[in-house]
Amino acid sequence: MSDLIVNGQRYALDAQVGRSLASVLREDIGLIGTKIACNEGHCGACTVLLDGVPTLSCITLVHTVGEREVTTIEGLRDHPLVESFVRADALQCGFCTPGQIVSASALVEANPHPSREEVRHAMAGNICRCGAYPKIEEAVLTWQD
Amino acid sequence: MKLLQPSSLEELDAAGPGLLLAGGTDVVPILRNKLIDVDTLVDIRAVVPRGVDGTRIGAGTTLAELEVDPQIPAALREACASAASPQLRAMGTIGGNLRQATRCWYWRMHYPCFLHGGDRCYAQTGVHREHSVFANDRTASAHPSDPAAALLALNARVRTNRRELSISELYRLPTNDNRDVVALDYDEVILDLEVPTPEASTYLKAMDRQKYAFALVGVAAARFGTDVRLGLSGVAPIPWALDSAAGLDDATPLPDNAYKIQIARALIERALEAVG
Repeated sequence: MSDLIVNGQRYALDAQVGRSLASVLREDIGLIGTKIACNEGHCGACTVLLDGVPTLSCITLVHTVGEREVTTIEGLRDHPLVESFVRADALQCGFCTPGQIVSASALVEANPHPSREEVRHAMAGNICRCGAYPKIEEAVLTWQD
Repeated sequence: MKLLQPSSLEELDAAGPGLLLAGGTDVVPILRNKLIDVDTLVDIRAVVPRGVDGTRIGAGTTLAELEVDPQIPAALREACASAASPQLRAMGTIGGNLRQATRCWYWRMHYPCFLHGGDRCYAQTGVHREHSVFANDRTASAHPSDPAAALLALNARVRTNRRELSISELYRLPTNDNRDVVALDYDEVILDLEVPTPEASTYLKAMDRQKYAFALVGVAAARFGTDVRLGLSGVAPIPWALDSAAGLDDATPLPDNAYKIQIARALIERALEAVG
């Protein structure tokens, strides 16, 4: 039996082979900030970090995570991006927001002063059906303000 | 379902047949949608090399790693950067990318089509705006891989756990007897790629939007001395090589996709200009 390391905490992994990381996070561990929308790796709502790398948890089989550290939106509670998304009013329904912030956190970690084009390139995998893109861009560009 | 995680090639051989899993970006949705029915998955990440060493690229290297690697030819870097989404590029490996399944919606929606072993291609008489304009008599499926087109132009070689072959030998047009488009055994594993260094290369891609879409047409060009090689994505059931734009005269478009030929002509012209 292997473990799962989430937001610095170790959990015993007791799941059937074939289950996704997203379903285990939400249903077994109770971290429901990670959203499942398309459930086939298109929309980005389920984005989490695996050792800092943005990853689609809905198409990641939980048994392939291994020793990589999972960071979910709950682990980014104090990240300045949370405040900048509020300040920029970068959401309407909010369903895609956890994934947006997780992707953005990896971008600004690697590149604290991204250009608009770099934001668009790094955030292209997070779909927002409300179409809040201009404000999401603004939130990421002004994350340190 | 069983998941095997061999840690060496010997253990892989001993594991027996199973569906190979690396980044999982195509395999997992395909499994979930029951497009393939298997009871054993073989996680090959521990046995496939990862990283770039000169002209050799480990098949386990992710597209995200390749899109920023200054050692590799521009065509491959650009093809990786324009593929899929950031998360999919961070997960997907170059080896897996070369073996991805068709995006044809009839195939994805379980139509009993030619590629599923049936007797007809539903796209030929159905919705086929994004389908093939070459070799589309049996199936009009269009090959979706951007890196494969780049590697074809670059004349890359592929090493598996059984043999070495060129990228053009990696792909085959499906026949009545064999509906596969990849000429590898089910449990054969791509280990690495040998990618020659051209004097200049580029990959240009036409999409329905600027980011995160499959190629309507992708054109890779690579110049070795005075010899320019072209590789195209999105125009045939497999990555398609052309000697020049004149080759487009042999296309056999379907009623709603002749526009792809015009796009290909324009992209070839621009790509040839770019590689001098």
